[in-house]
Amino acid sequence: MKKSVVLILTLVMVMVLAACGSNTNNNAGTANEGTATSGKTTIIITNGKGEIAAQWEQAAKDFMAENPDIIVEAHTQAVGDTLSVVDKLTASGKTITLAMVAPDTVNGKYKDFGIDLSGEAWVAETDHAFANEKGELVGFPFSIEGLGLVYNKKVVENAVGGEFDPFSINTRDKLVELLDKIKASGVEYPVAFQTEGWSVSNHYSTQFLNQNEDPSVTVNQLKSGELKLADNAAWNGYYDTLDVLVSQDYNKYGERPIGVYYDDAHVSVGNGTSAMLFNGNWAFDSLQAVAGEEFGFIPVPVDNNPENPLNNKIVAGPTNLLIINKDATAEQQAAAKKFLDWIVFSEKGQDFLVNQSQVISAFKNNSNKVTNPLGASIANAIEQGKTSNFALNYTTAEDWNTKISPEVQKYVAQKLSRAELATFIENYFTSLN
Amino acid sequence: MSEQRCRSLIPFIYIKQGVMIMRGKNSGLKSLGNQVFFTGPTLLFFCITLLIPFIYGLYLSFTNMTSPISPMEFAGLESYRTAFQDTKFWSAMWLTIKFVAATIILVNLIGFVLAYLVTSGMKGQNFFRAAFFTPNLIGGLVLGYIWQFIFVQSMPEIGQKLGIEILRLGWLGDEQLAFWALVIVTIWQSSGYLMIIFIAGLVSVPGDIIEASTLDGASTLRRLWSVVLPMMVPSFVVTVFLTLKNSFMVYDLNLSLTNGGPFDTTKMVSMHVVQKGLIESNYSVGQAQAIVLFVIVAIITGLQVYFSKKMEVEA
Repeated sequence: MKKSVVLILTLVMVMVLAACGSNTNNNAGTANEGTATSGKTTIIITNGKGEIAAQWEQAAKDFMAENPDIIVEAHTQAVGDTLSVVDKLTASGKTITLAMVAPDTVNGKYKDFGIDLSGEAWVAETDHAFANEKGELVGFPFSIEGLGLVYNKKVVENAVGGEFDPFSINTRDKLVELLDKIKASGVEYPVAFQTEGWSVSNHYSTQFLNQNEDPSVTVNQLKSGELKLADNAAWNGYYDTLDVLVSQDYNKYGERPIGVYYDDAHVSVGNGTSAMLFNGNWAFDSLQAVAGEEFGFIPVPVDNNPENPLNNKIVAGPTNLLIINKDATAEQQAAAKKFLDWIVFSEKGQDFLVNQSQVISAFKNNSNKVTNPLGASIANAIEQGKTSNFALNYTTAEDWNTKISPEVQKYVAQKLSRAELATFIENYFTSLN
Repeated sequence: MSEQRCRSLIPFIYIKQGVMIMRGKNSGLKSLGNQVFFTGPTLLFFCITLLIPFIYGLYLSFTNMTSPISPMEFAGLESYRTAFQDTKFWSAMWLTIKFVAATIILVNLIGFVLAYLVTSGMKGQNFFRAAFFTPNLIGGLVLGYIWQFIFVQSMPEIGQKLGIEILRLGWLGDEQLAFWALVIVTIWQSSGYLMIIFIAGLVSVPGDIIEASTLDGASTLRRLWSVVLPMMVPSFVVTVFLTLKNSFMVYDLNLSLTNGGPFDTTKMVSMHVVQKGLIESNYSVGQAQAIVLFVIVAIITGLQVYFSKKMEVEA
């Protein structure tokens, strides 16, 4: 008796819910029409950086005020959401006109999404417009980020006795010499090397891809099995440098280099008990530095040849791209292009990008500077042309984090030989074919 | 005993319902109305949050979706085949089983000892009851971050000052120690909760049989082993079930304390499933692994409850 009642109740509820579900689906299907009536163009723009949600909406409003014939619907992906807002909206039947995506996805998930933007005026203002594997310039570089050895200026200047130029460290021997000097100045451990997977794998271990001017050349050589890592000078060189940086001689965590050290490492460099660590411009917030402390980047040296361009450049490149949907109507695409021009050329757009959002601009005509000193030093390096590519963008970033990072960490902990690591990474790339 | 009483009530209810229905349609409706009124809301939420997602998830595991929004194409048992061939899933499962074994023994043991101590009539035992229970009120994520600080900052500091070698380096960087760090935090979190259940069991052991055993000359240990523990089996059925289930499904603590590190050596099976399904874009495979995990946990806990029920005795 009871059982049948429960069963009936359950069935009723399932039917009610199922009915609700199919209703909403139908609505979504009919309600979505790309272009609105009365001659106005509606575009949907999505933002993947949750921290600038408010600025993104304000930008849409400011842009609409200047362009009354365009209606902009701004969406933002919440911080920590595993589902991308682009996928969510697309799945619910909407056509996104302008989407913000990670650069590596234009060769992966979104390889058929973007239209070619090479004819746009802003291309002349940047070195970081992003081309996909087919060579189509699909990506508008929204934000630039860079990485290298973050150093505490005061500690280093105290050790070298005067002005310090980070680009003077262009060989591994010079780096070792600097570390020794810092040690001699009374800093017990000059390096506080945090070894989180995404850092030591995604960021550190992809630097060798820059040995060719175009990192995708290296990636293709790896995929075809032509490039053998065990006897590749650049690949070995970066790990030789890593061995120095994590060694017990210099590294605060040298005795057990793998662990949860992110916060401690940043605070150590921030307050000057250590001099440097490996990370990107976003590290500034974690340094918890007091006012007056200055920080900058030293390029990671790969060998002892001061002429090697890799030793003289900081890894920097776009970390978010804006791409225009090929499925949007011609009017929508034109409106989205107008929005991109607005970001690059209008005073309000430039202000939105750098001053409001604190994003490092990829565009030379934008004279605004971010307040974060690490960001400013990346921006300076971009101006001086002292940056190489953000190599991670040319591979699948997720795989470096989930598949390769445990192996790199094992290498750092000396539980895996370098030859074994070389074989693992080679096998990963050949398995992609 | 209370179980017995319940069982004897059931035929009575059936008879009553039968009578009601025989009396006329109105009272049958009334009874249905009563049932909907009392169990409806719970049933509704149970369906929305558990039953329907579960059935839907089961259905998804027979598709070949790569992300929660890819088109649903039926693929039969393909996801299960991939799930079973995933060696990392099985190594995560083995690690979880080790974790379950360690926590079941230690959490129950410590929970029981605590309960025994705070019911022995010591001074300030109510304060201790509250104090031991408090960690259970802190959520797993927060707890993980608090203990991360302890393992990374406090313990090495203490180790350095006092020259204790094992504390000197951060525990979370060593495979074995990171595993035991998880066990320790779990003990700290759940033994207080089990203590409450054990206290309830201990105080309901009838005083007359304790007195009888004392008069018969049983020592304290003998009395604990032969009289108190057999009477406590119903409590152990509940506590072992709770620890089994919680330890098999551990995720929040795993995420916040070690995040699977160092180099994925403390990645428990739930974390593996989440990573497989949502991060590595293998949604249906992750679903299939979640179903496999459910079946394993359901079988183990089912067997545990069935067999330990048989050990129950009556005074």
